[in-house]
Amino acid sequence: MRIKPIVNWRKLRIFLFTVLALCIIPLTRYHQIDEPILRYLEGPRGVDPLSLHLAGEFVENNLGTEQNADGSVTLRMIAQQYLFVPHCLLVPAGVPVHLRITSADAVHALAFSGTGYNIKVLPGTISAAQLWFTNPGEHKTVCREFCGAGHYAMRSELKVVPRDQFPVLRPGERGNCAAQ
Amino acid sequence: MRRNSGQPFFVSKFSRVTAVVLAASSLLLVASDSDNAPARIPSNVSWTQETVAAASSGDAFRGLLLAKRCEHCHGAEGFSATATTPNLAGMDRLAIWKQLEDFRSHKRTSRAMAPIADSLSALDVADVVAYYAKLPVFADLQDNRVFPQSRPDPNRAATALHLISFGDGERGIPPCQACHGPVAYRVGVPSLANQNGDYILSQLEAFASQQRANDINMPMRTIATLLTEEERHALAEYYGSGLGQQAGRP
Repeated sequence: MRIKPIVNWRKLRIFLFTVLALCIIPLTRYHQIDEPILRYLEGPRGVDPLSLHLAGEFVENNLGTEQNADGSVTLRMIAQQYLFVPHCLLVPAGVPVHLRITSADAVHALAFSGTGYNIKVLPGTISAAQLWFTNPGEHKTVCREFCGAGHYAMRSELKVVPRDQFPVLRPGERGNCAAQ
Repeated sequence: MRRNSGQPFFVSKFSRVTAVVLAASSLLLVASDSDNAPARIPSNVSWTQETVAAASSGDAFRGLLLAKRCEHCHGAEGFSATATTPNLAGMDRLAIWKQLEDFRSHKRTSRAMAPIADSLSALDVADVVAYYAKLPVFADLQDNRVFPQSRPDPNRAATALHLISFGDGERGIPPCQACHGPVAYRVGVPSLANQNGDYILSQLEAFASQQRANDINMPMRTIATLLTEEERHALAEYYGSGLGQQAGRP
């Protein structure tokens, strides 16, 4: 006569992984699909995507890298079909980069090649993130969310320069590598 | 203390101190504001539903009468006789409307268009664009249009076709047809299929040199700067020869 084990490990394993999957599926769904939709349906929160150019922090002469008093920099960008503005970014290495980005039309996602950063950009909301680039170098800035007919050409460049090579910005002046 | 005879002494002193503090703080505020440069606004147009409704509510017949003044440069049928003047026939009405509004608010400068746009009211602008949007684009032998210009050089045409349909992902130049058609359009973006080549070239150069700076969120200023001189000529030549309609077709 076979002795029935007290704990059937195989069954337990199947049961546990099923429970795990059942937990993960709705969680992922909520974060990836429902929450962005709900945020979008809530209406414009923070900024009006249609009038970014008229007033507020995303007017065109405020875009780019701003030098803060504590040594960190603030990087303000607009993602739009099918460009990141400003097109060429310049940040110093080894300091915190406070990114503030919003979209003027569709949903985009900003990613820097060679790094793990991937920031979802929704119209009407400001996506804020703190980035840190340790080494000087060049990164491609790509859009990782299909945003329309020109999506695959929506890429630009980020130049990370050593701290001493970053230009001294006057108050009101914003840095980008097109000006260099 | 005759002046303040109705009030106790401390009230007047308190108000005087408050006034001084307020004045000082307002001065400080003004000083801190002047640190930030004033916002540069490229265009007063913002594509809200009200704007689109106002721009689309024109009366085309009234526009026909008003457009008699435009005929001298833009042609009786919306196709101009000089290649540096844009064709307006069959263009998206929102595209012409935005440019006229920018001429009216001096966000886009032009020696020819400034006095004309100044004399138009907001209602007139909507009427004129309603008329031009209704004009047909097919060829008319009696017209003195210059539009389908000479066939482009094959090598240049290949460059232009590649930029129009694929752009350049390495440099981050999106394809022209993603916004200017025929594959996709954005609000307020003109179709280039029936546009004069020399006009397109002049505008690309004006965008690149920032002389024209009325594009919202600077897409065209960015792209025109990224294009080389050769590519600007190639694109202008390609669109100017009337091949723009076929660019997206198999």
